[in-house]
Amino acid sequence: MPGQKAIIGTASTLALLLVWELVSRSGMVQDKFLPAPSTVLYTLGSMIYGRDLLYHAGISTLRVWSAFLMAAAMAVPIGILVGSFRPVGAALEPIVDFIRYLPVPALVPLSIIWFGVGEGTKIFLLWLGTFFQLVLLVADDVRRVPVEYHEAAMTVGAPGWRRLTDVSLPAMLPTLVDNMRITLGWCWTYLIIAEIVAANSGLGFVIWQARRFFQTPEVMAGVVTIGIIGLATDQLARALHRRWFGYLTR
Amino acid sequence: MTYLSFDTVTKRYGKTEVVQPFDLDVAEGELVAFLGPSGCGKTTLMRMVGGLEAPSSGCIMLRGEALTRPDRRRGMVFQSYSAFPWLTVAGNVAYGMRYRSDLSAAEKRDQVAHFLDLVGLTAFADEWPNRISGGMRQRVAIARTLAAGSDILLMDEPFGALDAQRREFLQLELRRIQIDEGKTVIFVTHDVEEAAFLADRVIVFTRRPARILAEVDVTARIGASRTLEMREGSGFFALRNELLHHVRSTASQEEDAV
Ligand SMILES: Nc1ncnc2c1ncn2[C@@H]1O[C@H](COP(=O)(O)OP(=O)(O)OP(=O)(O)O)[C@@H](O)[C@H]1O
Ligand SMILES: [Mg+2]
Repeated sequence: MPGQKAIIGTASTLALLLVWELVSRSGMVQDKFLPAPSTVLYTLGSMIYGRDLLYHAGISTLRVWSAFLMAAAMAVPIGILVGSFRPVGAALEPIVDFIRYLPVPALVPLSIIWFGVGEGTKIFLLWLGTFFQLVLLVADDVRRVPVEYHEAAMTVGAPGWRRLTDVSLPAMLPTLVDNMRITLGWCWTYLIIAEIVAANSGLGFVIWQARRFFQTPEVMAGVVTIGIIGLATDQLARALHRRWFGYLTR
Repeated sequence: MTYLSFDTVTKRYGKTEVVQPFDLDVAEGELVAFLGPSGCGKTTLMRMVGGLEAPSSGCIMLRGEALTRPDRRRGMVFQSYSAFPWLTVAGNVAYGMRYRSDLSAAEKRDQVAHFLDLVGLTAFADEWPNRISGGMRQRVAIARTLAAGSDILLMDEPFGALDAQRREFLQLELRRIQIDEGKTVIFVTHDVEEAAFLADRVIVFTRRPARILAEVDVTARIGASRTLEMREGSGFFALRNELLHHVRSTASQEEDAV
């Protein structure tokens, strides 16, 4: 039952928060290292007014989405071509595979040399971290479409290129949406790296600023904000998935 | 000129010989049943006719023209369920007509209703394939293939998952469609009775690699028209027994091989 799942999930989260709160209050650890959840929550509230938290969260979200959409818009068609046509796959996959293994942080200096410290660098790093992964994921999704579906389309007269839209796309769409949801999560990781290194706005910047003054509650509030945004996006994506692809469940 | 002919067709997968030099002529409007032990190469032969697999040597010809790629002239009902899960039952049937230019949109709608009725799925028109039974899903695939209006129907154990009543009804319907619309049908089955009842000619295969063990001309024996009463007649009974003997001999081959 989905209701039961939600109840258990909420209960375990609350239990964890309670333990954390008690540990902090008991004085076992210094407040400077582990402030209580209530303190973090209070700080989060006051940062909305005092530190323009919502503005920074908005900026970060905007960066994540613009880079992600750009990467997805390029990766989906290219991935479909790579997965559908063997020569295209043979030509592109080695390159994609190589770049995919480069850790994004290692490319920060290069990116700053190329794009400076403005928006360009951030978007580029996020794009870099997701585009190549997504190409390979999409290519795999296309290849996993059952061959019977393609053959059924062929025998009712669908020409080759129409099978991309008749069969490949609808058959892979559910996994595609799932992969996009996961990839969007990675974007946040890369964004925070980018914002710590080169930014004067965004959640990564806020967290890093707070760290310089040893404001642990502020650091944690920033982290929690990212978590909340991530959780909300993820749940929304899952809800849409259930709604769009309800036909998959019996 | 023969309509559909297999000309010394062979098929190998790596070192495994699946079809030995195979020759067969199928007349236009004929229903030929393939009867043979599991794994002998029946599906492989069908896929080669459908253009989904190329022969290792020899060729399959339609009116003297070698068949190389799939097209709408040869419709295929697959052994595994192939209904598209993202389309409704009616959507799947309609997809069979997507590339037909000989029908107007209104005619296509009528045809969808007609074929849904034929396979007994009218009440499930708006249901998703994942939410109906396996036998029903197979009927969706049958309706989709019939809707495509192919000249040649390649049916790979299409009625295997159906209950006896539905199976008998669809056997009669298939026979009617074949006769009325002049369709040529190749029909794979494990069921001796089904082969005898449905086919003009039954080809019994040996174990792999597939060769023709026996060929039985059913129409010459019991005539072209088939009714349920015939199933109980002595002529049909003798025919069925004869086929059964052939099938048994493939089983004893198996013992010899061990
Ligand atoms: N793509 C393939 N690669 C290798 N071997 C294959 C391939 N397809 C089929 N075979 C082999 O060819 C043989 C014949 O297969 P086929 O599917 O034609 O049998 P069948 O007569 O349809 O059997 P069944 O009645 O069980 O459906 C089998 O032994 C199978 O293992
Ligand atoms: Mg088979």
